[in-house]
Amino acid sequence: MLFESLLAGFQLFLTPLAIGLTFIGILIGLLVGAMPGLGPLMGIILLLPVAIGLPPVAAMGFLIAIFVGGSCGGSISAILLRIPGTPLAAATLFDGYPMAQKGRAADAIGIAISASAIGGLIGGAVLIVASPLLARFASGFAPPEYAMLAVTGLFAIAIISGGSLIKGLVSGCFGLLLATIGTDEFSTGYRFTFGSHHMLNGFHIVAVVVGLFAISEMVHQIVGDDLLKKPDIKVERPGFGSLLTTMRHWVNLLRSSGIGVFFGALPGAGGVISSFSAYAIAKAAAKPDERYGEGAEGGVVATESANNATVGGTLVPTLALGIPGDASSAMLLGALLILGFVPGPILFEQEPQFVGGIFLVYMASNVFLLIAGILATPFFVYVLRIPKFYLIPIILILCSIGTFALQASVFDLMVMFGFGLVGILFRAANYPLAPIVIGIILGPILENNLRRALLISREGYWIFLDRPVSATLVCVNVLLLTGALYFAFRNRKRLFSRQES
Amino acid sequence: MTSRTLTLMVTVFFAIIVAIVFQQIHTSMQEQGIASGGPYDNAAAYPRAVALAIAVLVIVQILIEFGTGQRERIVVDPHGFKRAVGLLAVFAIYLGCLGWLGYHLTTTPMVFAIMIICGARQFGKMLLAALIMSFGFAFIFEKFLNVVLPGGVLSLNIPW
Repeated sequence: MLFESLLAGFQLFLTPLAIGLTFIGILIGLLVGAMPGLGPLMGIILLLPVAIGLPPVAAMGFLIAIFVGGSCGGSISAILLRIPGTPLAAATLFDGYPMAQKGRAADAIGIAISASAIGGLIGGAVLIVASPLLARFASGFAPPEYAMLAVTGLFAIAIISGGSLIKGLVSGCFGLLLATIGTDEFSTGYRFTFGSHHMLNGFHIVAVVVGLFAISEMVHQIVGDDLLKKPDIKVERPGFGSLLTTMRHWVNLLRSSGIGVFFGALPGAGGVISSFSAYAIAKAAAKPDERYGEGAEGGVVATESANNATVGGTLVPTLALGIPGDASSAMLLGALLILGFVPGPILFEQEPQFVGGIFLVYMASNVFLLIAGILATPFFVYVLRIPKFYLIPIILILCSIGTFALQASVFDLMVMFGFGLVGILFRAANYPLAPIVIGIILGPILENNLRRALLISREGYWIFLDRPVSATLVCVNVLLLTGALYFAFRNRKRLFSRQES
Repeated sequence: MTSRTLTLMVTVFFAIIVAIVFQQIHTSMQEQGIASGGPYDNAAAYPRAVALAIAVLVIVQILIEFGTGQRERIVVDPHGFKRAVGLLAVFAIYLGCLGWLGYHLTTTPMVFAIMIICGARQFGKMLLAALIMSFGFAFIFEKFLNVVLPGGVLSLNIPW
């Protein structure tokens, strides 16, 4: 079945449009990844309006390639400027920047790109094998299991998304509430529409997400005082020999990619945790003469292979269960829904050729990453020299046209601006934004399955404990929450005792 | 500004959200007959539960922050703050005028104004960049992606 799915996927993938857009997606991904403050999520958000008008496999190829390229692009600025383009590349600067200072910037970038591509391919292999298995296992799931899975996804992301647990949960609940706006699927009544026909289907997710992330990020950027600065950086083009250099660290490469896939598949964990974990383990396992932290090739290999393998891992629950692993995969899930596909076991049963197409675009993205990354490095270095006062208006135009293009609606632009203000407030008060997106995506899954479960139940909420998988998920959720509360209180107690002493 | 002020602002924001949820449940949803009954008919139970969860969590957050007696001072560069307010003002005016004046008449001035807010002063170069940006994006979206940008009252659309 897997082989047939891949074979059928070839027919959808082997078109000039799909291949061309996957390649362009990689270039855009590297570009947004390299530019400090942007990153893969922002790239996907800004170009989602472009993608939803395209054929499905080409559209997903474009967006997945941005995700793949963006996860690697941050390493370029981390190595050259000591500023990670994305948090994913934060661990890369430990050894990447010292390598650049020793005159090995081109080597460091070459190794980062090669390790990312190989890590991504390993993640892809796991995705291709694991997601159909998980989907087959989940095909027996009923509304109680889906409702509990949605709660697990939301809890995990709220807990791990950084900052306070309570703030993460508040953000997640805010996303759940936003998802209720519009026409109720069961009663067909209108909720929170205030009599406006614009709100009958709720707020468009792209308008909300562009506002929350892009507008608030541009305001955050303009507050800084480096708007006119033009960094003076020079680098030669790395060679394909970096691939061989990277392969010499094959144990590190396999181990770090495994770590990346594992953390990617856990909702909420994501690339930052995986790259730091992979770096720590690689450092612990290294020989003393490797000198981690002073420009060791192994450090760059570990972090970059881990954060790109995370992409493959994060797509496993996204495709097989319809539960996104992080905010970027939530946007990919949103794109799938807009394109008319419902992720989960049904997708694997009814659209195997489309699933095969997604697998192929993901694998192709990583191959293109190697080629485009190495050949186009001088271009990205040039782009890094563009001052922010050019970049901010470009992003704002993209936000405006992209949001307007969704439904040719000025109302969507107002929604975008309104959520921009909300995003600024949340950022200032340290409320994480990612759980809002996950809440919006998981909201309908949670509510509809919760209500369906209660409809089929004869004992009310006991249905969630009557079924073994659902009961296990209830236990996981209780453990997650109590564990997070325990650690939050313990950390707080330690902080107080330290302050007192 | 202190962290407490920000917490209060967020609390007010969520208090308004929760109030709107309950106001809508007791007015619009009740009038439609979807605020009571079983899981099929009761469309209000779930948003009510989520709103209550938000209210409880926000109260816990306030207790944690105010209970510690700590007040973290947040230092904002006044010039940076002015730039941020300027950017939001220009962008709000731009969005307000977009439907009325159209994309082509509003985008170049918006880009130019933001560059000035950022501190750039090479006006010739900035004007050229603003023109390239606005018309370049219009060309890509209208020509290749078949997006019809707002033409405004003058119906200004370029047939590329």
